[in-house]
Amino acid sequence: MILYDYVLSADCYAVRLLAALTGQRLETRAVDFYPGAAEKGAAFRAINPAGTLPVLVDGEVTLAEPAAILMYLATGTSFAAEGASAQEWLARSRHFAAALGGARQHDMLEVPGDIDALRAEGSLWLRILEAALFEAGEEGCGFLLGDTPTIADIAIFPHVALAPDGGVELGAWPRIRLWMRRLRALPGFIEMPGIHRLHDLKPEPGPDYGGAAA
Amino acid sequence: MSVSWTPVALTPDLPPGGAVPVRAPWGELVVWRSATGRLSCFPERCPHRGMRLSHGFVRGEMISCIYHGWRYDTAGQCRKIPAHPDLEPPAAIRVHSYPVAEAGGLIWIAKTLPESAPPETGAEPLRSLVIASPASAVTEAAGVVPGVPGPVSLPDLAAPLILALQDMGEETAVHALITPADSAARIAASRALEAFRRAVEAEEIAA
Repeated sequence: MILYDYVLSADCYAVRLLAALTGQRLETRAVDFYPGAAEKGAAFRAINPAGTLPVLVDGEVTLAEPAAILMYLATGTSFAAEGASAQEWLARSRHFAAALGGARQHDMLEVPGDIDALRAEGSLWLRILEAALFEAGEEGCGFLLGDTPTIADIAIFPHVALAPDGGVELGAWPRIRLWMRRLRALPGFIEMPGIHRLHDLKPEPGPDYGGAAA
Repeated sequence: MSVSWTPVALTPDLPPGGAVPVRAPWGELVVWRSATGRLSCFPERCPHRGMRLSHGFVRGEMISCIYHGWRYDTAGQCRKIPAHPDLEPPAAIRVHSYPVAEAGGLIWIAKTLPESAPPETGAEPLRSLVIASPASAVTEAAGVVPGVPGPVSLPDLAAPLILALQDMGEETAVHALITPADSAARIAASRALEAFRRAVEAEEIAA
């Protein structure tokens, strides 16, 4: 499977993360999204006429919508989720991307936008997520759709974790913080710039740390 | 006001190994809980390069800065500087440690140690949320003042909730507690709190 990828994209990271969590191998092809806007060029539009990332190509299958890619990769794994509640969160992930992701692109990648409106919209979706995680917790569930993580969580998580890049701080969201901690503690979790692993779960670096290879 | 306790979180929202940023009247702080459950409260910024300590991580009884790994014990003393593994950090490398206490299902901080302990609430933690209105507006709507937990009756709820307000300037954190209730009642209380927030904020916009 080939993933056309940009390392700082939240949606591309969601795909890489799900592949890692489910033990699937991706061949990533870096696309110069910033500053080159290569995804809008003729060469890339031959792969995805919409000119967007991520794009997954698996033999005859080409998928360019983040939720569809997650659904494809999750098939047959514990991360698969079906039904209206799953669809609700997958659709909501586009609102998180537009608002929190829009604020982040404004602040980090010089993309024009009404930054105050983007942050306000992002905070609204964080409120909805915080309330949903509270209610899930009351039902004994640590994740959006149950007691194990699914593509619903993976679709939302990157946009939330990167919200501070767009000036939306996460201090005031206790259930979201604990949910992110659970996700970051999953076996096989991988990082991206801005989303680091839980160092406290890793062994302490020894005295030869960084020098052993020399 | 600085000699009284300020509620900053509900106890279950900061489990062992956690670190959270806190906006106090006197500055930005980090409150963290060690592996054995000890709470500490420091200024948010690592004195080395100013990185937020709430972005750091807790290992055992110490918090590490995410930037260069400077590690502080529960009293604020720097115990390790990874770039100089053989160095015993001098006593002068330390951060200020503020009083922090746990009572009534809440975590409390203070700038200087108050004469009395923080109050009990006789209730169980429900959830915390932030209202995008100043504490004066929340007090007017709820009838409780910051720092003093009190009962507040919300529409459609059988029993009042206990609300502890935290003044954060333009915003107000509301730490809500409830007398023991089943999950359906707790979810109903959470939804009533959301409605309360919308009502307070709508009033603020109209004013």
